[in-house]
Amino acid sequence: MTDITIVDHPALTIGDLRGSRKRLARERRVKLFLMGAAMTSVLISVLIVVSLVTEAGRFLSSADLGSLWTSGWFPREGFFDIKTLVVATLMVTGIAIVVAFPIGFASAVYLAEYASARSRRIIKPVLETLAGIPSVVLGFFALTWISPNVVQRLNPDAPLSNLFAAGLGVAILTIPLVASVSEDAMSSVPNALREASAGLGARRMTTSLRIVVPAAVSGLVAAAILAISRAIGETMVVLIAGGADQAQFTASPFQPSLTMTAAMASLAGGSDAVVGQGNAYQSLFFVGFLLFLITLGLNVAATRIVRRVRQKY
Amino acid sequence: MTTKRRAGFAASFLALTIVAGACGGDDAADDATTTSAAAAEGTDSAGGSGAAEKLSGKINISGSSTVEPISQRVKELFNDEQGDVEITVAGPGTGDGFKVFCAGETDISDASRPIKDEEAEACKASGVEYVELKVAYDGMTVVTSPKNTAVECLSLNDLYALIGPESEGFDNWSDAQALATELGSTTKFPDAPLSITAPGAESGTYDSFLELAIDPIAGDRVEAGKLTEDKEGTIRKDYNPSADDNVIVKNIEGTATSLGWVGFAFAEEQGDKIGEIAVDAGDGCVDASAETISDGSYPLARPLFIYVNTKKAAESHALVGYVDYYLEAGYEAVSEVGYVALPDSELAETVAAWKAVTG
Amino acid sequence: MALPTILDRGTAERVRRDLKGSRDLSGTLFRTVLQLGLLLTVVILAVLLGQVLSLGWGTVSGRLGDFLTAESRSRAAEAGVFQGLRGTLWIAIIVTIVAFPLGIAAAVYLEEYAPKTRLTNFIELNIRNLAGVPSVVYGILAYTIFVTVLEPVTGGKTALSGALAVAVLVLPVVIITSAEAIRAVPSSLREAGFGVGATRWEVTRSHVLPYAAPGILTGTLLSLGRALGEAAPLILVGAIPGSVGYSGGLLNPAQLHEQFTAMPIVIASWSTNAREGFDRATAAAIIVLLVVVLMANATAIIMRNRFEKKR
Repeated sequence: MTDITIVDHPALTIGDLRGSRKRLARERRVKLFLMGAAMTSVLISVLIVVSLVTEAGRFLSSADLGSLWTSGWFPREGFFDIKTLVVATLMVTGIAIVVAFPIGFASAVYLAEYASARSRRIIKPVLETLAGIPSVVLGFFALTWISPNVVQRLNPDAPLSNLFAAGLGVAILTIPLVASVSEDAMSSVPNALREASAGLGARRMTTSLRIVVPAAVSGLVAAAILAISRAIGETMVVLIAGGADQAQFTASPFQPSLTMTAAMASLAGGSDAVVGQGNAYQSLFFVGFLLFLITLGLNVAATRIVRRVRQKY
Repeated sequence: MTTKRRAGFAASFLALTIVAGACGGDDAADDATTTSAAAAEGTDSAGGSGAAEKLSGKINISGSSTVEPISQRVKELFNDEQGDVEITVAGPGTGDGFKVFCAGETDISDASRPIKDEEAEACKASGVEYVELKVAYDGMTVVTSPKNTAVECLSLNDLYALIGPESEGFDNWSDAQALATELGSTTKFPDAPLSITAPGAESGTYDSFLELAIDPIAGDRVEAGKLTEDKEGTIRKDYNPSADDNVIVKNIEGTATSLGWVGFAFAEEQGDKIGEIAVDAGDGCVDASAETISDGSYPLARPLFIYVNTKKAAESHALVGYVDYYLEAGYEAVSEVGYVALPDSELAETVAAWKAVTG
Repeated sequence: MALPTILDRGTAERVRRDLKGSRDLSGTLFRTVLQLGLLLTVVILAVLLGQVLSLGWGTVSGRLGDFLTAESRSRAAEAGVFQGLRGTLWIAIIVTIVAFPLGIAAAVYLEEYAPKTRLTNFIELNIRNLAGVPSVVYGILAYTIFVTVLEPVTGGKTALSGALAVAVLVLPVVIITSAEAIRAVPSSLREAGFGVGATRWEVTRSHVLPYAAPGILTGTLLSLGRALGEAAPLILVGAIPGSVGYSGGLLNPAQLHEQFTAMPIVIASWSTNAREGFDRATAAAIIVLLVVVLMANATAIIMRNRFEKKR
C-alpha cells in the first residue's frame, strides 16, 4: 500500500485500471482456487452418497431381506432387525425432545423477551459452554450420574445401562441448540410488534405468547427439527450409556439397547471389527444410509422453514 | 508489504516442516532398523529375555478382551526395560482379532479359545503362519448382584434353563423353574425379575460358556426332540449382550436380581461389587478359585492363548523379545491381573513350543 | 430530530401497569416458569461439572504431570492420557492445516465471487445440509475414502485418516461461520477498494479478510473445539480403544501414518471400564479434554464479545 507508483506513469489509461496481464492472471488463479474450495463441499456430498449407496446396495443384495425383520439386532449372527434400532432411536429422540424442548424454549423466551442485557451476558456463555461439551463427556455423565440418580429412582428395576439415561444425556446435548436457534428466531421479530402490543396494554406474557411466538413460529419449528435431527444423529452418548452392542427388540426405554448410530459405532468397535467381508460390516452402511436419509429430510425441511422466516422480515 | 508477508508465512511454514522433520529423523524406518539388526546378529538373541540387547520396533497386538489385560500388563513391564519398542494393544474380541491377524495386520492375536477351522483357513489363504501358545487359565464366574442372596449355587441344568435357547421370554427367575425341574434340577428359583447381561457372540467368553455350559445339554435336548436343531449352539436372544466385560460387571452390579457370567479375573477384581454363584456339574457346588480352575474341578474353566505370527517373528527381534519376556520375566503379569498361571509342566510345554519356532 | 420517547420500555411498562391496574399473577408465574427452565440448564451444567470435578480432581491435583505424560495402563493409578493427547494434537494440526484454509476459501468464494446462480444456491444449500449430517456418517465416508481408497496416501487406519475425517466433518461449519463473518463486512469497504482500481482478490485480501478476521477466527475456534471432542467418526476410522505404540518424538510426522487413539476415544473406553479407579481416571481425562475444548470455546466467545462491543 505504500508503493503508490502512479506518479511514474506518463498518463493513466483505462488499461491501468484493468490491471496488467500478470495481475489478471493471478486473479483468475485465485478465483479458480477459491471455486475449487467451494466445490469440495459438493465433492464431499457426492462421496458420502456414493459410499453409502454402493455399500448399502451390496448389503441388501447379499442379505436375506427377511433378516431385516426378526427378533433383534444381532448383526454377527445374521439378524438385522431394523425395527429394533429404529424404535430405540425413536425412544431416545423422544425422551430427549420431551425434556429438551420445554427447557430450551423457556430459556429462549426468557432470553429474548425478559432478560436484561446483564443477565444475558451471564446466561449465554452458560448455554455456549453446555453446547461445547463433547458428547463422550455426556455419555459418561449419563452412565455414572443420570442413570443411578434419576433413572433408577424412577424405575428401580432398570439396569445401569439403559436407553432412558441415554435419552436424558442426549437431551442435555440438544437444550443449547433448541435455546439458541429459537432465541435467534424470536430476537429477529421486529420490535414494532412488541411495542404495538404493549401499547395496547398487553402484558409481557401476552406479548410473548400471542405476538412474538406466533411471529417466530417457523423459526421455532426449525429449531425443533434441527434438535430432532441432532438427537437422532448422536452416537457416543447412546454407545456409552445405552450399554448394548446387539439387542433383542424392546419397546421399553428402561432396557439396554442401541440406536442406529450406536449400532454403527459398535459394529466398527475399535480397529478390528470392521475388517472382513461379512454381512455384519456391510450392515453398517445400510444403517448409515437410512440415518443419512432421515437426517437429510429433516435438515432440508428445517432449511426451507428458516428461509421462509427470513423472507418474512 | 504483501511480498514480505507472504515470505514470512512461507518461512514459518518451512520452519515448521524442518522442526517436524528433525523430530522424525531419528525414528524413521523403525522396522527397517530392526530387520537389519536381526540379520546382522543372527541367532544369539533367541534365548534369554533380551536384556542385553537394545530392541526397537513395533508390535501390534489385538484379539480377546479377556487376554488383553495380560498382554497389556506384559507390555507395560516390557516397556520398563525396552522403552523403544512401540506396542499397540487392542481388545475387540477373539473372533475380530483373528480376522485382522489372518489378514496379516497384527503380530500377535490374543485368544480365549483355540483358533477355529475357518479362521485357520483364512490365515492359510493369506499366507499367515503362526504358533499357538497357551499362556494361562481363566474360569468363567457366574455372577449376580451382591444384593441377590436367594441364589448361591446353580447346576449346569439351571444355567441351561435360565440362559439356554429354550429360556427365551423368561423374564422372572421362577419362569425357568419348570424347565429346570424337568432337567432334573432341585434348585428353587426366587420369584424375582431376571435380567441377564453377558458377553456377545463376538466374544470368546460367549463361545466358551456356550461350549462348556449350554451345548452338552442342548445336544441331549435335540436328541430328545425337545429342541429344534437350528437352536443348538445358541442361547436366548433376549439378554443384554456386551463385548466389554466391564460393561457387564457394571450392569450386574447395578441391577438387583441380575445374572450373567464374566471372566474369573474380572469377577475377582470386582470384590464385593458383584456376587459370585458356585457351579455344580454333578459333583457338588464348586466356587471359582485359582485352585479349582487349575486342578480342573471347576466346570467353567478354559485355557487362554496368544497366537504369534511366526514369519513376523523371524523378521523382528522386538517381537521375539516381547514373547520371550511374556513367558519368562513378564509371566507374573498373568496372576497379577487375576488369571490362573499354568502349572509348571504346562508352562514348560508352552516355552518349548515357542523355542521350536525361534530356534 | 428527537422522536417521541413514549414507546421506550419503561414508559410502556408504566402505561401497561396503569391500564391493567391490578397485580399480574399469571404473568409472574409465567416468568418464574421461564426462569426455572433457565435455572435447570444452569443446574445441569453445575451438576455435570461438579460430578466430573469431584471424581477427577484427586488425580488432576495429585499427579497432573504424570497423568499427562503416562501411557494408558492397566492400573488406573498409573494410567495417563499421553497417547490420547498425541492423537488429539494431530487432529488439531490437520484440522488447522486442511479444514480452515479450505473452509475460509470456500466462504470467500461464496460471499465475494460466486454469481447468484442456481449452482451457487445449490452449493450453499448443500453446505447447510452437510452441517446437519450426523458425525458417524462422516466416519463412513472417511472409512471408504481415506482408509480404503486412499490407503496408499493415508496408510489405512491411521492418525492421518482420523484427522482428515474430523477435518471434513467441521468443514461445513467453518464455511458457514466464515461466510457469516464475511457477509457482515460493510460493502462500502469493498467499493472503496474497487474505486481505486484494486482487483477483487486485492480487495478481499487487504480489506475484507482483515475486517472479517475476528469473526472468522471465532468460528474456526468454535469448530476446533467441536473437532477435538468428536469420537464417533474416529471409531469408524479405527481408533484404538486401548494402548497405542507411537513412534517417538513430540511431533514426529511418522505418527500420522500409525495407528492412533485420541482423547475422546480414551474417555469412551475408560468410561465403560469397571476396574478399580477407572471412574476417577475417566473423570480426570474429561477434565483434561474439557480444559482444552472449553479454552478454545472461551477464547472464541471472549473474542466475539469484544468484537461485538467494538461495532
